Amino acid sequence: MKENILEARDVHFTYSDGTTALRGATMAIERGKKIAVLGSNGAGKTTIFLHFNGILRPGRGQVLFNGRPVRYDHRSLMELRRNVGIVFQDPDMQLFSASVVQEIAFGPLNLGLSREEVLRRVEAAMEATEITGLKDKPTHLLSYGQKKRVCLAGVLAMEPQVLICDEPTAGLDPLHAGQVMELFDRINRQGATVVLATHDVDLAYSWADYVYVMSCGTVVGEGLPGEVFGNEQLLRQSDLSRPWLVEVFEQLSRKGWLPEGLPLPRTKEQLFNYLQEVKGNKVPGKPAAVYLFPRG
Amino acid sequence: MFRIDQYAYTSRLRHVHPGEKFAFAILTMFICLAASTVLVPLLVTCLAAAAVIMVARVPARFYFRLLFLPLGFLVAGLLAVTLTISRGANPAVYGLVIGGVTLGVTGPALNQAALIFTKSLGAVSCLYFLSLTTPMVEIISILHRLRVPALLVEMMGLIYRFIFVIMETAGMMYVSQGSRCGYAGIRTSFRSMAQLVANLFARSYHRSRALYTALLARGYTGEIRMWEEPRPVSAKHLVLIALVDLTLLVLVLVTWRWPV
Repeated sequence: MKENILEARDVHFTYSDGTTALRGATMAIERGKKIAVLGSNGAGKTTIFLHFNGILRPGRGQVLFNGRPVRYDHRSLMELRRNVGIVFQDPDMQLFSASVVQEIAFGPLNLGLSREEVLRRVEAAMEATEITGLKDKPTHLLSYGQKKRVCLAGVLAMEPQVLICDEPTAGLDPLHAGQVMELFDRINRQGATVVLATHDVDLAYSWADYVYVMSCGTVVGEGLPGEVFGNEQLLRQSDLSRPWLVEVFEQLSRKGWLPEGLPLPRTKEQLFNYLQEVKGNKVPGKPAAVYLFPRG
Repeated sequence: MFRIDQYAYTSRLRHVHPGEKFAFAILTMFICLAASTVLVPLLVTCLAAAAVIMVARVPARFYFRLLFLPLGFLVAGLLAVTLTISRGANPAVYGLVIGGVTLGVTGPALNQAALIFTKSLGAVSCLYFLSLTTPMVEIISILHRLRVPALLVEMMGLIYRFIFVIMETAGMMYVSQGSRCGYAGIRTSFRSMAQLVANLFARSYHRSRALYTALLARGYTGEIRMWEEPRPVSAKHLVLIALVDLTLLVLVLVTWRWPV
């Protein structure tokens, strides 16, 4: 049965400076899934995340955790924040301490755990994010990517049921971006629900189980990646591009280079397999001449 | 300042228990300040220099440049102590007589100046020893353990962290202004600098709000709990510190009634 760990129902929110960030956003995060939230800058992704963690309180509407409406007294909030962790986009906005260990231990210490437990969690989080070697370095001597991983470790150490990350791969080189995504998969396999906000349609398309598209403070589209990214109008309306896999696949299908009725490929390996099969079925003809430079 | 921070993280004494370094620096500083003659302060200055240069392996040139830093203040202060201005001739004053006013120094004032000078130098050396061998993070954790009020300790930690964040932001703004000819002339330089400072203030305010949000998200309840790493204390080091400081203390007492 579908079970939603987090839910926002028709949430409206206006910041104190008068900016209306959410206009009736509804979103349901299913337990154990990998969820991508897409949307251009200012679509309201970060604002809805801050509602999931109880930092912001909806002006109108409701937020539910484990099917129960979130209460805003101290104890309920602590319980919510223990279970829903947010990693923010800019690590310099999140790192408060010059000491890596102090930074990571902050969350677990707030949970009132024993010293041994805090130490175990800090070490496990550092290992998971591969920053054990940075233990004795001050945070201001770390690179951007390293800082991002320290921030992630600081939230992982709280062992949340839901991990929310705002643009986790923005500003990372491809190698580290790949490592971070693998880490999310690993955490997800261990049972945590992972929610990512991103602009990267390719990444969302290949990685997510379910996709939400936000625009101007509301959820304008949702569905399985294939559904959402096949909907050209939705993407255009929310200023998103289409994943290259979808574009290439459509072009190939339209030109008749791929048989009809194949499902959208989720990974590039899947697309290559399609091509391989097609090549295998056909009688190899005379290869067409390909000129790298125009002749004449 | 940033180089001090770098040496603190790379010195040979980096992994010595911070409490030992803190105890050594502070005890020695107080003994130095209690001295009534120049002998012990001079010894302390040499001792700290030896520890920093030979044991912690901080380049000597850099260390002596650091020692010269407070010299300006020191000389200005000493002039006020030593110079005596008196009307008419004064047999106790060695100096110039200009238009009926004697400008010069007296023997006791000179002695006092020498004492203040050496004591200041000794105390500064002790603090340099601490800051060149112990990262700020560890000093802060010692202060926490010494029950310094949490508010002060947290402020120190945050200020230390944000010095770097704000310096980096300012550096980037400066480069970006410079690349658009923001510092081409005196007038533009003043304008650019004014904008930079104003912007930096707004940016810092914004950052502090964002940081608060991020702390809340991890269960912040108004107090930053310190994580203390268990570290073994070396008995050998403690004995060494006790020996050195006891010797200095005895010397202070022995020389108590010496003239200088």
